[in-house]
Amino acid sequence: MNGGLTKEPAPSASAWWRGGSPGLRLARHSLGLLALAILLVPFADLAIHTRDPWGELARMASGMAWPAWGALESPFAALGLTVAVALWGTLAGVVLGFPLALLFARSRLVRAGCAFVRAIHELFWALLFLQVFGLSALTALAALAIPYAGIFAKVYAEILEQTPSAPRDALPSGSGRLARFVYAELPLAWSQLAAYTRYRFECGLRASVLLGFVGLPTLGFHLETAFREGRYPEAGALLWLFYLLIASLPWWGHKRLIPLLLVGGAWLLGPWPRVDGALLWRFVSEDIWPAALLTGDWAGLLEWLARIPELGPAIGNTLLLGLLGTVGALAVALVLWPLASRHFGNRASRLAGHGVLIFLRSTPELMLAFIFLLLLGPSLLPAWLALALHNGALIAFLVARHADAITPGMPGLPASSRLAYELLPRVYPGLLALLYYRAEVILRETAILGMLGVATLGFYIEEGFDYLMFDVAFFLLLITAVLNIAVDALSRRLRPREAPLDDPCIR
Amino acid sequence: MEGEQRRLLVRFDDEDLGHGAQVVLPRLALALHEGDRVALLGQSGAGKSTLLGELRRRLGGQVAWCPQHHGLVPQLAVYHNVFMGRLPEHSTLANLWNLVRPLRGPWREVAALCDALGLAGLMRRPVGELSGGQRQRVAIARALYQARPLFLGDEPVASVDPHQALRLLSLIDARHTTSVVALHQRELALTHFDRVWGLRDGRLVIDARANSLTLAELDELYPDAKAPEHDPLPDAAAAAMPSVDALPCARGKP
Repeated sequence: MNGGLTKEPAPSASAWWRGGSPGLRLARHSLGLLALAILLVPFADLAIHTRDPWGELARMASGMAWPAWGALESPFAALGLTVAVALWGTLAGVVLGFPLALLFARSRLVRAGCAFVRAIHELFWALLFLQVFGLSALTALAALAIPYAGIFAKVYAEILEQTPSAPRDALPSGSGRLARFVYAELPLAWSQLAAYTRYRFECGLRASVLLGFVGLPTLGFHLETAFREGRYPEAGALLWLFYLLIASLPWWGHKRLIPLLLVGGAWLLGPWPRVDGALLWRFVSEDIWPAALLTGDWAGLLEWLARIPELGPAIGNTLLLGLLGTVGALAVALVLWPLASRHFGNRASRLAGHGVLIFLRSTPELMLAFIFLLLLGPSLLPAWLALALHNGALIAFLVARHADAITPGMPGLPASSRLAYELLPRVYPGLLALLYYRAEVILRETAILGMLGVATLGFYIEEGFDYLMFDVAFFLLLITAVLNIAVDALSRRLRPREAPLDDPCIR
Repeated sequence: MEGEQRRLLVRFDDEDLGHGAQVVLPRLALALHEGDRVALLGQSGAGKSTLLGELRRRLGGQVAWCPQHHGLVPQLAVYHNVFMGRLPEHSTLANLWNLVRPLRGPWREVAALCDALGLAGLMRRPVGELSGGQRQRVAIARALYQARPLFLGDEPVASVDPHQALRLLSLIDARHTTSVVALHQRELALTHFDRVWGLRDGRLVIDARANSLTLAELDELYPDAKAPEHDPLPDAAAAAMPSVDALPCARGKP
């Protein structure tokens, strides 16, 4: 063969698609995901069950536009409790998680335990603790502290592992383990540990609001009540209060104010339950396990398993909604990120784009889903919309930030070519990597959306707790956790390797 | 010969040195005696760091160690970085308390050292805010603070000017009976040391008294340096140079 500049025939379309470049691989990958979602859409219940969704939406919008500030009863107590729970819950998570982080690399048991507690959503933990500690501060704190301990253990361990080893190696031999840690490891990791803890506190703040949905008197409780009872102006005021709380975080959450907030928050926490050891032990050792299992009656266990209502469809719906939510988030992210990027549009369009993204990503999925549910009725549709919009906006925000750091090599291209040739090829691997990080979060949220009436696992878990069938509820919780761990492992395998994401604060 | 009367510190007899299964210095034969002042020369990747690492391992507690790229903690103050040279000599509790409030004795000792090294007034400054030359001197201060008889330095004067390099080397000589220092400055090796070890492609090609060598002979160690004076690819070398808080990269080809 004499290569060189001789005529090479243009590749046929099919040959082109079989090419091995990373871009084509990612494109095939994404289209595969999309095809799977389209194939499975007919199995999802996407019906609209309400009669007048547009009218309802108009009433909500007018509530948002003219909030009834005067109608709020003790909003500051709810706000204070929300912050106090988030702060103390996060702190307890740090206290529990930090020692685990030091054992994380060495102990398989610790890794498995952390993966398990992480895989169960804060609200499910709250439902579980509600049974033993009632509507109390202890339930709220444990619901945050336990999953966060697992998350902190993992992320802290990753951060500490990435600290450079040169200072450690330079120490004279015989330096004690603890001295080595505080002199040559902790200072190197400190700023990252602090940044992640701060990020987790923000997540805790949103979770603390959501704890209201299971009855704890945080901001979410008042929000849910107002929405359910159709008092939209009041709900609007509460929603604005929530956004103000999140937006003003840099001021009131300054690190010098944290000790003050902690002390002040301690006064607001309550009520404290009377912990009955015997009752607690009975719950842990008997109530949450099927009776047949405890007596070793295997035939009875099978019968018990067969009597669990709708197990197959619930798992199917959860996975289906997770997939649809992920693909939806991909589509939303692709559409939204150019709106907030400096490469497109004008000042006004960018401002509007930023506004939409901030609104969508700071509203928790559960709250979005709840609002859509009131509009559309209990099918998978409101949940799908909420998952796609929230996660899509979150990814779009990060992608826009990434794109803004890029200087196009060919200035003066029209917008469409700039998107297709300059920017998208560069940001897409990162976008997909983010999507796969979010896939696990989306599945965890999917389960929790069941609590609103969507027929995923969460629906049956809450039903189990409501009817005091603790064994069924706990079994379904375990299934949720296993599904989550499996999806996490799968998305880790599928994640594009071209774009490693080092910053744990974006997961 | 006078070398035979001095105490032998370490000897390699045709030994393979390297990292795990990867041999960097095959069949190495050399000896280090008390009182030797050795300049270790060779291109990047010739095996200097491997040899120094092995010397450190064998000589253990007698060694004051000054690693390549300093290995400092940028977030901690100069004082704490220097103090780290003597971490094993204090109790864990004292070490922890020292982070909250410097111990009085060590503070005085470190202050004296910093004065000698031109770091006076910088003791409370985080190392990350210092210039390259200042960091270099902090790394040397940490090694001096260990107060050991033997100094092993991996390019300890790479980022200071020639005058300062001389001053620092004199300071190192004054406080240690024996030293092995990896260098790139060939002139310094001839004028300031009494022995030269030259590594090329993992072999010890020079092991001789400094006053018996010429610059031309040392040039043989740097095959790439024929045309330009120093690194042939300054851009690539600068890009490959890790920052103070980056991992030390693995050595080049064996």
